[in-house]
Amino acid sequence: MKTAEILEQFHQIASSPSRQKEAFLQAGKKVVLVAPVYTPEEIIHSMGLVPMATWGADIELKLAKKYFPAFICSIVQSIVELGMNGTFDGASAIVVPSLCDSLKVLGENWKYAVPSIPFIPMTYPQNRKPAYALDFVKAGYNRVISDLEKATGAKFEDEKLKKSIEIYNQHNAAMRKLEQVLANHPEITAVQRNDIYKSAGFMLKEDHTKLVNELIDTLEESSTDVQKIKIMTSGILTDCPSLLSILDENGFQIVANDVASESRQYRTDAPAADTGLDSLALKFSAMDNCSVLYDVEKKRVNMIVEQARQYGAKGVLVVLTKFCDPEEFDYPLMKKACEKENLPVLLVEVDRQMTNYEQARTMLEGFKDMLQA
Amino acid sequence: MSNASANIYTLGIDIGSTTSKCVLLKDGKRIVAHELIKAGTGTYGPQRILDQLFEKTAVKREEVAYTVVTGYGRVSFQGADCDMSELSCHAKGIYSFDNSVRTIIDIGGQDAKVIQLNDKGQMTNFAMNDKCAAGTGRFLDVMANILILDISELEREYFLSQHPVRISSTCTVFAESEVISQLANGANRADVVAGICNSVASRVASFAKRVGVRETVFMSGGVAQNGGVRRALELELDVPIHYNEFSQMMGAYGAAVYAYEKAMK
Repeated sequence: MKTAEILEQFHQIASSPSRQKEAFLQAGKKVVLVAPVYTPEEIIHSMGLVPMATWGADIELKLAKKYFPAFICSIVQSIVELGMNGTFDGASAIVVPSLCDSLKVLGENWKYAVPSIPFIPMTYPQNRKPAYALDFVKAGYNRVISDLEKATGAKFEDEKLKKSIEIYNQHNAAMRKLEQVLANHPEITAVQRNDIYKSAGFMLKEDHTKLVNELIDTLEESSTDVQKIKIMTSGILTDCPSLLSILDENGFQIVANDVASESRQYRTDAPAADTGLDSLALKFSAMDNCSVLYDVEKKRVNMIVEQARQYGAKGVLVVLTKFCDPEEFDYPLMKKACEKENLPVLLVEVDRQMTNYEQARTMLEGFKDMLQA
Repeated sequence: MSNASANIYTLGIDIGSTTSKCVLLKDGKRIVAHELIKAGTGTYGPQRILDQLFEKTAVKREEVAYTVVTGYGRVSFQGADCDMSELSCHAKGIYSFDNSVRTIIDIGGQDAKVIQLNDKGQMTNFAMNDKCAAGTGRFLDVMANILILDISELEREYFLSQHPVRISSTCTVFAESEVISQLANGANRADVVAGICNSVASRVASFAKRVGVRETVFMSGGVAQNGGVRRALELELDVPIHYNEFSQMMGAYGAAVYAYEKAMK
């Protein structure tokens, strides 16, 4: 397949998750919704179920307002809105991790707002490294397994989990390689790039890996004269088409990212261990450099500077999801570290209900002029 | 400038949310004509202002070598050679006017910006307000309306104040009800106006400090005309705030300078 054809496939899948869900259901598969972030998809996959990611959608919030105040993460609110308006009908369960206050609220409200789709909590500890933390994480996984068995009738087997872990590790590797390859291909727009990342949530990982590897092969065989302004992105979610189009119109190229819905989830593989659950727990223990993962030293800040330098980014675009406390806490440290290294930073606040991005356009145009000066 | 570049006319248009401004430049330096109309984007303003400008000058429209449009209405405006962000145009205009400026505070009809410049006049950092109208010209319009004052009368009232009241700087809607409560409690009108100006200054100063304030500090945009807000900002930031009567035209002026630079390429 040619690059354009592969990109079109990614676009079709990324822009129509409901169609994907219906196709899985018609094929006799059971779909389990996976809320962000670091949800143990491998367990769901190993039980023959289809994990489908949900980061909400850019929609007007109506029904969900019954359960939330205005000043809470719009990703979480829009997930409940989609649940209440029937978009998720047919899903067998939703697994929600406990990694931020808004996600905790999501789970509790979901039980009342969408009683037809069972809520399964994945409770993670704040401390990830000590042995007791590993036991705590495994207890969380066992709760997920038990609830999934109840909700879907599927059975868990550790040997199958090991196979799924292998598939997920291969996907992680493909996504890491993709990031490196895309850095050398500015002709791939920010909108197209987003399709690649976003579609990962709506496909079985083995299928996504195959398509990503095909894209990598075609890109590696091609070269381009296109030149753009290299930037790094950071934030929870950067999938808004309007914002990405402004990046494209202004000639920006995302060469690296520290985005929760993108590379953060592909940084860490599950290592080999006696059991699949041990392997998954060790993966969570090894994770780092994320606003929702407790780290008193905030190593993430320096990682962003180093990554930006490594990929030749001229500046860092922080896309801050409104009312995201974990990201807001990290931002001043990140800004200080970047400015110390003469790396300009632009903060753009977004939420799922924004319809007008003209202020963001002005800021990005100003940022472009600054980086080109 | 070489002789070959003589008699180059360039035009800068700044279409804001409440006003439209334009500046016609000769050879990138001399202001031939300028115009301001109190009608912004989405109105007759942008077109009418050009008609008015060319009625007042001997220069014909077709003699303009290059036109740059800026401001909130720049994207929808047809008839310019290119559009540029108001951040860049204000930076260009003000630095061209006074090359000692290192910090620009621009408060317009619906947004406020703080821009930091380096010694070459290049933008090195900036911050803008979020979507709330607090700290913008719109906030002052709403408050003046409640007080049944013309916006131009706020400055006089500010300097009459002895004991400014405290008005919220976080939300226009909350501030509006606070002002009504203060008036209902018998607060002196001048003290309420001073509270309003202080509120704008406090809001803008918070992100000026985020960007970093270096002298010379220059204020542009429509709100720069309000001496009360300028004084309140001086007290908040503890630096003199420079201003001139052309402050509101700086975006259009910068656009015209950019247009000249582009015409000469």
